[in-house]
Amino acid sequence: MTNKAMVQFDTPIMTVVLNDPDRRNALSHQVFDDFEQCLDEVETAIDSESCHVLRIRGEGPAFCAGFDLEAMAHGALPSFLERLGAICRRLRHLEAVVVAEVHGPALAGGCALVSACDIVHAGPDAAFGYPVHRLGISPAVSLATLVPGTSPGAARALTLSGAFLDADAAVRIGLAAAAHPDRAALEDAVTTLCDRLAAMDAATLRATKRFQNELDGTADGDVFVASLAASLAIASSDEFRTRIERVIAKKRAKETDRD
Amino acid sequence: MNTIDLQTELVTLTTDGAIATLTLNRPDARNALSLEMIAAMEVGLEKIESGLDGVAVVILAGAGKSFCAGMDLKAVQDDPILMGDMLRRLAAVSRRIRRLDYPTIARVQGAAIGGGCGLMVVCDFSFAHPEAKLGYPEVDLGICPAVVAPFLVKRIGAGKARAMLLAGGTMGGEAGFDAGLATHLVAMDELESATIAFAERLAKGGPEAIRATKRWLNELDGSLDDEQLSKGAEISAELIQTEDAQARLRTLFKR
Repeated sequence: MTNKAMVQFDTPIMTVVLNDPDRRNALSHQVFDDFEQCLDEVETAIDSESCHVLRIRGEGPAFCAGFDLEAMAHGALPSFLERLGAICRRLRHLEAVVVAEVHGPALAGGCALVSACDIVHAGPDAAFGYPVHRLGISPAVSLATLVPGTSPGAARALTLSGAFLDADAAVRIGLAAAAHPDRAALEDAVTTLCDRLAAMDAATLRATKRFQNELDGTADGDVFVASLAASLAIASSDEFRTRIERVIAKKRAKETDRD
Repeated sequence: MNTIDLQTELVTLTTDGAIATLTLNRPDARNALSLEMIAAMEVGLEKIESGLDGVAVVILAGAGKSFCAGMDLKAVQDDPILMGDMLRRLAAVSRRIRRLDYPTIARVQGAAIGGGCGLMVVCDFSFAHPEAKLGYPEVDLGICPAVVAPFLVKRIGAGKARAMLLAGGTMGGEAGFDAGLATHLVAMDELESATIAFAERLAKGGPEAIRATKRWLNELDGSLDDEQLSKGAEISAELIQTEDAQARLRTLFKR
């Protein structure tokens, strides 16, 4: 484990911290590896009845900036989409209340993660959105949880436009439950919420979450499979390859200029 | 104003022109929903369902300082089976309110908590005031709010409902309006007049057209899905009957 994602344990609250701050917690092979391992630990703790609240936050300036560009240029996109889809599904089916603390940008894959959480609190620098069509990537994988979590209309506008939403706008469409004026207020509110949830009965919360999943159609695995398939269908397209190469070339040129 | 005899004082039903008002009338208990109260609502609903002359709109109201403080579980604290039955019957009453052929308006003053908030959002419209106290603190008490979840999801959307029901707690009238629990927010001293003015406006619509629209809306949003609505009540009922939940409630009632 490279500690690009870490899990902290304070029974019955577990906290998963995305921990690649220099790369704005972009989802890379290593971040995925460690994130998945963290979730394994969370699931083990849930099974042994020592966890029923999961808090997720990011270290550094961003919550999560989406997929790692370099890795995508080297053919990682299909596997990244599969791993992201699987994590979203795990978060939704986890028998714990999942609380996201979003202090900075949560974009593309990062926004997908947020949409799969149960309760989202956002800070002043939060930004949500899917600026990915310009890369030739479809954010369809996120729709399994984004559509029921917001509304069909809001999800359509957000994914198709590529626009960014701030914390207040995210609250308006239902993607976030609360917006906070500063980082300290965000952290305090999430801590208070997690402590309250921790004091509640695990079986009651589990039953409530399960029925919510049934009501909004996410109890079923089919919607996750279909959403992933829609993104995967164009993950090896020429359009994507051309566009990602162009983006990487631009990035290289910028780095060379700086040197 | 006509008063229709329901053979009970726990709920009253009056008509005034095009407006019928069904009033929860147990003000000393903040209109908490006891088994008797739910039974009285069933009688009132039967009268409304069988048709009231000239009526075009139904207002659901509570007498006294509060609209409805939720389920009166304390009254049946020694009988978990009965608690489960109350939840099932509340779900059935909610379903009947939803399916009335008249547009419905909840007029909410003071508290609309738990099952009371459930009654508020099952109505087509709900009027509240800034000092109102709204929400679903069920999970705080170790009770599963599945019984109220379906209509909350239909009112405010699944994402917002998920966060609200899992986080528990209550909120003021303004936050409730922002969250979509209330469709209208007015000053407390204008609550009654504003509700009546709105009801009178609704009453001007063609009753057949309104009925057709409401029926189609109910079909579209799953309000006719008996299986799903019953399942919510079953989940809540089963959970409340467990020894764990009963122990928590006993501690709560002792306070």
